[in-house]
Amino acid sequence: MKLFYKIKRVGLLIITAGILITACNKAPLPPAPIAQPVQGTSPTLATLLDNPDSSFTFLKAAVVRAGLLAALSSPTQRYTVFAPDNTAFMLSGISSVGVINSLPVATVAGLVSYHVIPQVIASTSIPTTFPNFEYPSILNPTTGTPGFNPLVRLTNFPSRRGSAAWINNIPITATNVSAVNGVLHKVAVLVAPPTRFLWDSISTSADLTYLRAAVIRADSGVAVAGTLQTALSSFGVNLTILAPTDLAFRTTLTGAIAGALIPLITAQLIAGGATPAQAAAQAPGIALAQATTLAATPAVFSNPALFGALSAQTVKGIVVYHILGTTIPGIRVFSVNMPTTATQVKTLLNQAVAVHPGVTVRATFAGPFVGAATVKGLANATASNIIINPANPFATDQNYINGVMLRIDQVLMPQ
Amino acid sequence: MRKIASYMMVLFLANILTSVAFAQSSTISGKIVNRTTNESISAVSVTIKGSQVGTFTDDKGNFKVNFNQKLPVTVLFSSVGYALQELVVSNPSDYLTIQMAPSNSLGQEVVVSATKVAQKILESPVSIERVSAANIRNSPVSSYYDILSSLKGVDFTTSSLTFKTPSTRGFNGSGNTRVNQIVDGMDNQAPGLNFSVGSVIGLTELDVDNIELLPGASSALYGTGGMNGTILINSKNPFKYQGLSFQVKTGIMNADTRYREASSYNNWSLRWAKKVSEKFAFKIGTEIISAKDWLGYDKRNYLRKGTTGNIITGDRASDPNYDGVNVYGDETTTDIRTAVLNAIGSSAAPFLKNFIDTLNGGRPINVSRTGYNENDIVSPNTLNYKISGAFHYKITPGIEAVLSGYWGTGNTIYTGSERYSLRALKVGQYKLELNHKNWMVRGYTTQENSGESYNATVTARLFNENWKPSGGATGWFSQYSQAYLGGRLNGLTDFAAQQLARSSADVGRPVPGTPAFKSGFDKIRSLPIGGNPGGGLFVDKSDLYMVEGQYNLTHLTSKFADILVGANYKQYNLNSQGTLFADGGGIIKIGEYGGYIQATRNLFEFLKITLSGRYDKNDNFKGRFTPRATALIKVANNNNIRVSFQTAYRFPTTQQQWIDLDVGSSTRLLGGVPFFQQKYNLNTNTYSLNELPSVTTPYTVRPFKPEAVSTYELGYKGLALQDKLLIDVYGYYGQYQDFLTRRLLVKPSGNNTVNDIVAALNNGVAVSNVANIYSIPVNSPSKVKTYGFGLSVDYRLPASFMIGANVSSDNLKDVPVGFAAYFSTPKYRANFSIGNTGFGYKKRLGFNVAYRWQDAFFFEGDFANETLPAIHTVDAQISLKLPATKSMLKLGANNLLNQYYTNSAGNSIVGGLYYVSFAYNVF
Repeated sequence: MKLFYKIKRVGLLIITAGILITACNKAPLPPAPIAQPVQGTSPTLATLLDNPDSSFTFLKAAVVRAGLLAALSSPTQRYTVFAPDNTAFMLSGISSVGVINSLPVATVAGLVSYHVIPQVIASTSIPTTFPNFEYPSILNPTTGTPGFNPLVRLTNFPSRRGSAAWINNIPITATNVSAVNGVLHKVAVLVAPPTRFLWDSISTSADLTYLRAAVIRADSGVAVAGTLQTALSSFGVNLTILAPTDLAFRTTLTGAIAGALIPLITAQLIAGGATPAQAAAQAPGIALAQATTLAATPAVFSNPALFGALSAQTVKGIVVYHILGTTIPGIRVFSVNMPTTATQVKTLLNQAVAVHPGVTVRATFAGPFVGAATVKGLANATASNIIINPANPFATDQNYINGVMLRIDQVLMPQ
Repeated sequence: MRKIASYMMVLFLANILTSVAFAQSSTISGKIVNRTTNESISAVSVTIKGSQVGTFTDDKGNFKVNFNQKLPVTVLFSSVGYALQELVVSNPSDYLTIQMAPSNSLGQEVVVSATKVAQKILESPVSIERVSAANIRNSPVSSYYDILSSLKGVDFTTSSLTFKTPSTRGFNGSGNTRVNQIVDGMDNQAPGLNFSVGSVIGLTELDVDNIELLPGASSALYGTGGMNGTILINSKNPFKYQGLSFQVKTGIMNADTRYREASSYNNWSLRWAKKVSEKFAFKIGTEIISAKDWLGYDKRNYLRKGTTGNIITGDRASDPNYDGVNVYGDETTTDIRTAVLNAIGSSAAPFLKNFIDTLNGGRPINVSRTGYNENDIVSPNTLNYKISGAFHYKITPGIEAVLSGYWGTGNTIYTGSERYSLRALKVGQYKLELNHKNWMVRGYTTQENSGESYNATVTARLFNENWKPSGGATGWFSQYSQAYLGGRLNGLTDFAAQQLARSSADVGRPVPGTPAFKSGFDKIRSLPIGGNPGGGLFVDKSDLYMVEGQYNLTHLTSKFADILVGANYKQYNLNSQGTLFADGGGIIKIGEYGGYIQATRNLFEFLKITLSGRYDKNDNFKGRFTPRATALIKVANNNNIRVSFQTAYRFPTTQQQWIDLDVGSSTRLLGGVPFFQQKYNLNTNTYSLNELPSVTTPYTVRPFKPEAVSTYELGYKGLALQDKLLIDVYGYYGQYQDFLTRRLLVKPSGNNTVNDIVAALNNGVAVSNVANIYSIPVNSPSKVKTYGFGLSVDYRLPASFMIGANVSSDNLKDVPVGFAAYFSTPKYRANFSIGNTGFGYKKRLGFNVAYRWQDAFFFEGDFANETLPAIHTVDAQISLKLPATKSMLKLGANNLLNQYYTNSAGNSIVGGLYYVSFAYNVF
């Protein structure tokens, strides 16, 4: 029996040992979540607007009126805010917080939203390359319309050259004010959201009536979906159009038509009894007079007598030579994005003539703005000037929903 | 072949004729009791010395034997656990009362499977383990099959409560096809599903007479398949074990409600055997197990790469491409950048192109669909019902005919390359057999019906598709992508946008437990796999037919050697109606025949040499010869050294030959027969996915062949310390070649070329978008080597105490870098047990405590790979015998300390099971 008890004790020991050992079985662990970056709680983009020098009180008021304060306070959202300070508001014609609060909410919301990009873009990440990189803002132009599409966004174009940076053509004056939910860059003036399409402008501007007529002429015989008018009226494309003014068109057309008429008039004069020498002497004057008359109105593009000289194809070739970028949807180039050394930039003409060298562009800066810029067509004798608005340099570039327009003083000739 | 068969038939007839020439004349009867306790002893063999005549005591210990020898005769009484007794009887009218002395001697058990001839376990020339009915009775295990896990060198893969797969010497896996399981002489591998069904549809617990386990290579006598061992389970003969017995086990599982609500475990079994006359006996048995199953609950994130992968960090909330191990339906994944967003950027919203291009740093945005947990889609109700019966008829005293049937059905869970819910799986085995001491003929069939079994992964994926298709303009991924993009456009962080996108795309997702979920899920799981519309259901009604015979020529050849010959023919009828196999055009038949011969000779007093060889031929493969040579050296009485060289090989399974299964994501599992090379045009413009993108030359499909292993083994088994200590030790070294594994081939789809596949690989795009993927079985060109050892000691202490301990080790070496061997085996494992079958009050108490430890190891499976931690378990039972009714009350615990573990990646997590049982007439 003694032995029995001994064994019993041994047995108990074994069981105890078993308990101790078996207590360490490892059942499968729960899945380990992927660690999310730890972040602080302040400042948020919203609290940055309450800075000590009170320079963002206008913007704060606008954000509040736009109903965006919650979004800019949210720790689970990330934005880049291009922030106009109070001075920028005033430069843009908004003189007080009261003005902001008197504007319709939708207007203020649109304005503020266009200054906000839903991702974090530190200044070092602002693209430096030509052409531009397109960033959606949080402004959805279809909000509240029957055609609402949640993915539609107006876009803007931050760019940087060296230490200078812009959003669209508006200089960025200070960068990288960090918040836990994004980054803030100060801008010189308000970045107004575009509300119109390029075609809205081309078809209504008093000084672009020839361009309008040229586009219509270029589109003749083309199915609607493929016309330039459609592209110029479409959301989602990016066209940079160098728009010759009516004056430029008249000059060019007069010269061109006169040139085309001289041989005809010379032949008529000789047939009428003039000697070749007389005819040669008189013809340019007569041709110029007739050409001036013919080119005096945009109807020149729809004059059947000139269909030979200004065929739809010829006109189209000229028009597309004024649109930068080789494809639709295209590229958007503000004057500030133009190279400072003469650089060839291809145009939509390259769709038809792949090897065409394009136009030669060159800009000269005066401070943060372009003081002078030229663009030269391959067949032009001289470069045409991009028409700079000396009073308001921000108005040199006309930004539209689907592109940007720069006026020029010559028609660019591809050949 | 034909000659051998006809020769055997002649011998067979000769035996019948000589046997029936006898006539009966005398009868003796009596009762046998235990000398110590005076209890009657059942199933004692009573034989007339020098004749084939004999009987067994019934369940009351009574016997009656008729014979025609001249008096006096010597009667032998023998029973395991008692000393052999002889009695000379001269007056047959005496009613004999025989007292037999209990003898608890070690190593005296008789085994058959090692050489197909009965011999003492101590004299087996190869390693063998044996489990007796008494072992089962005194074990703490809740189901007899589990007792195998306490044997040395055995590993278990536990897929669920009733689906457990034992293996030896490495290469573990659920439904391991490298271990043969033979129940009453019948291979019980399911002919279509390919796993052995021993733990689901085998013998009932009360009908198990013994289990023998041959570890390691063992196909020289048992035929193709036994690469990693052969398990033989034999039932009780109704002539020997008579009467009615039953057992009721009731217990509790999931007691701590950690993974499920606490639930009951019920295991009721019943056996009734009756010897109607000296010629005729029958038995019937049934068993029912019901419980709430263990749960596959591994929710860790799995990075799946075809049929391999690894655990990574991340959960459903933090990883948009989360694919939980035991979460189903989330295998459907796509790169939404390629699938949806790029198209938005290029046409619908070009103003967003730059934005889209910069999302996630420009890298692919992989997203998986939301999955369902295992307990949402797999019924927890394990049910296992078995019924079996047999008629035994002695045509002559020496020839016993057996007609038997075994049928079972149940619900259980199995893990292959996916997790499968086996529901109402039905397997029947029916056998007709004639036994003589010198020969045996047997014919049997296995009839499989997969019932309502379904692939949980496929079903969950298709259930998701049925609710909301993944693709298309309004599909789940499109909705997800748009919501994600919208979220990002509104400034949400990637994390927040992904969550918003998931909640948007999952709006209206069926919630588990609701009637809508149930009806939807039930619909998908009842549609056949690969059908149109497809579902997760297997339609498998494959069958196996087999005939075999064996003749022991020893009585004719003993002067030269003991010679044994045998042969078999089997035919598989694959019938899945085109859902699993390429049998859409009708049943596929595969024939296989084989024959073996074994010669044994004692060379000196101390040396016994056995040579065996087996030849097998399958319709689809060249014939294979497997030799075996063993030597048994008797170093002293009851002390033997064994040396063996064994080989084994395995014909590819029926699935490896003929499977033709679309598993989704443009991926198809194929068999290896040449048929498929034509059907899917694999001989041209097909590339190896494993070698792309570096190798872009087309892949050449080579003929595949059986895999093989050869093993050298040295062992010792003997008794020491006045026969109280039994030692068994072995060491082995084996080499595997032509390993059967799978390889992924890709064939460019549509107008794509190999360059598109290379581009997809380089860009992290799903290959299935540009190619069809085919998984084909191939032989690995690499040879791998295994080695290991095992040691066990059993010590008989005074007062009926027994202690036992074993330790074993298996190792793999020479594995080429990057080669998945699926070894999946712990380097070391150990068992320790202490027990007593009779102590305390009138020696009626018993107990057993078993402790098992296994080392941490890396588990490689098609379903999941991971390093599993070490496992410790304690099983224990305490019992009380009630001799008056031959009953036993038992209180048992498996995994006593409820320490949850899983022994194979992605399989069920096993906790404690506690039960009380009452068994009537079981000893």
